[in-house]
Amino acid sequence: MKIPSALRGLVPVLVAIVVLAMLQLVLGDAPFFVYLASIVGVNVILAVSLNIVNGMTGQFSIGHAGFMAVGAYTAGKLSLLIKDVAISGLPGVVSDQVQFVGSLLAGGVAAALCGFLVGLPSLRLRGDYLAIVTLGFGEIIRVVVQNLDVFGRALGLSGIPQTSSLFAVWFCVFLVVLVARRLVGSTHGRSLWAIREDEVAAEAMGVNTTGYKVRAFVISSFFAGVAGGLFAHFVPIINPGSFTFVKSIEVVVMVVAGGLGSTTGAIVAAVFLTLLPEALRSLFLQLGGLDTGASLAQKVDQIRMPIYGMLLVLLMLVRPQGLFGNREIWDVLPRWFPRMWKGIT
Amino acid sequence: MSEPLLHAVQVGIEFGGLRALRGFDLEIRQGDLKGLIGPNGAGKTTAFNLLTGVYEPTHGEIRICGNRVNGRPPHQINHLGLARTFQNIRLFRALSALDNVRVACLSEERPLFSRAQIDDLRRRSAGRSPVASAMDALNNYVDWWRALLLTPGFQREEAEITRRADELLRVMGLSHRRNEEARNLPYGEQRRLEIARALGTQPRVLLLDEPAAGMNTREKGDLMVLIRQLRDQFSLGILVIEHDMKLVMGICENITVLDHGVTIARGAPERVRQDPKVIEAYLGDSYLAAHGMEVPAQSTTSETPLA
Repeated sequence: MKIPSALRGLVPVLVAIVVLAMLQLVLGDAPFFVYLASIVGVNVILAVSLNIVNGMTGQFSIGHAGFMAVGAYTAGKLSLLIKDVAISGLPGVVSDQVQFVGSLLAGGVAAALCGFLVGLPSLRLRGDYLAIVTLGFGEIIRVVVQNLDVFGRALGLSGIPQTSSLFAVWFCVFLVVLVARRLVGSTHGRSLWAIREDEVAAEAMGVNTTGYKVRAFVISSFFAGVAGGLFAHFVPIINPGSFTFVKSIEVVVMVVAGGLGSTTGAIVAAVFLTLLPEALRSLFLQLGGLDTGASLAQKVDQIRMPIYGMLLVLLMLVRPQGLFGNREIWDVLPRWFPRMWKGIT
Repeated sequence: MSEPLLHAVQVGIEFGGLRALRGFDLEIRQGDLKGLIGPNGAGKTTAFNLLTGVYEPTHGEIRICGNRVNGRPPHQINHLGLARTFQNIRLFRALSALDNVRVACLSEERPLFSRAQIDDLRRRSAGRSPVASAMDALNNYVDWWRALLLTPGFQREEAEITRRADELLRVMGLSHRRNEEARNLPYGEQRRLEIARALGTQPRVLLLDEPAAGMNTREKGDLMVLIRQLRDQFSLGILVIEHDMKLVMGICENITVLDHGVTIARGAPERVRQDPKVIEAYLGDSYLAAHGMEVPAQSTTSETPLA
């Protein structure tokens, strides 16, 4: 079947809407599953968006939790403010969803704006400046939020309407993946790769390197903000503790583990590393780890960082380029399992 | 006579107290094939970096097609029609040969403001116009949206870019390497790919930084033919930096010789070859004395390294 070129851009979106709507109908009522899937989805959005900067453009940002926080608090606060307002002429559910989308966009735009302000001065320079500035930015946001009454100080915001759904989260996942893939396949994505490979040569070939880096950073921040906004609408409470430096590092680990520049790698790593603590939780129950006094959550948290560390060391030893390197899963799988692949095709 | 494509007037640069280049003059017109030579450390690459905008000159003026480009970033200078290759190959190593060229093939069509409009603004404000920069940025943001939405116009442009890149690969004899990663290409083909990439930006002046470095005699012969052919086919002006005397003398119609940042000779190859100052710079004044030639009066150094 030949798809007319005017529609080629839209077809995947329509397909995704149908598939996700069906998933929502089938699985949308299992609370634990939806919660877990939402957490996984948010982490996938974070990893894939950070991959646009750290992987494709070769810059090093370690403040993604900061942009997520900006998005979460902007969207959360906005939703709290308009909670009791209903858009006239619309049924309650629809009105809620419209407000939810509005809050998400506001969160994304606020984060993108921060990304622009942070990126513009630091991305003019080459090297590690971005890492230092983003690290500082993440901490500043956290401290500011912690000390503002509007944002509930250390207690955070609670009572945000829980309007998120499986569909909403995974539609955003779909969008960020679509954006990443479309970028890679376009002249803009190639310019980003060129910057990663050799900035001097890219500049000499007419690529406005500063402009491209800032744009990539803004897009990445936007989606981090959206991820934060989603997060705010399905967890009962958001507080500064959710957006620490450790969270930023978690996302960097996902991107590096998946392979810098590999979108599917980021997805696989994000899913795996998010589900790992859950798997550990059941492992603890099996081992009777509840006896020693510390709460379960504490233990899972304690064991997670050492496991991250070991995983990273192992990965550096075995596959220094990350799970898929800078390729995608469909480039790598046929080489890993040539026979199996032949059987499929 | 019309304005040259590339015109450097009394260009100089100081790094701290070091004057790496002074009083450098150069004119490149369409169809020119000029050479820039000199012993190691003479300032050849510095001159290249000044022309391409990597450094900003502290003295003098550089004009490309009539536009003053002092202080403009390299990508803008490239858009005005100046492309270069690098002494130590700087390909995008992980990208395929095709993508290397496609990066350079930027689309001429801009969504909101035309390139001519922006260039005009820049020219009027001597290169530093915030309005022009903002227009450029807006253009690019809209262009990203077109890529994300995969609009028909965008698809058409992509197809056109791919066609142009394929054509360049064919001209440079690299079609069979189309989908191979640049780092896996043999050395000579990497050099050719770099030239193809430079041509992708549709330059009017091409600067080649030691194109024959590391090549064997046969490859050098092929390269000489190729450079002439490119000049005629793409109606370029070409400036070559080269250590290999045979190559430079063989293809260049006009040679500029630098030593210690100063232009010591300029002219046709035969004249330059016999210039005592050039021989002294390359071989030292003891050589001149031994062969019964006159040592130039303003000789300052006696131990100049061999080229």
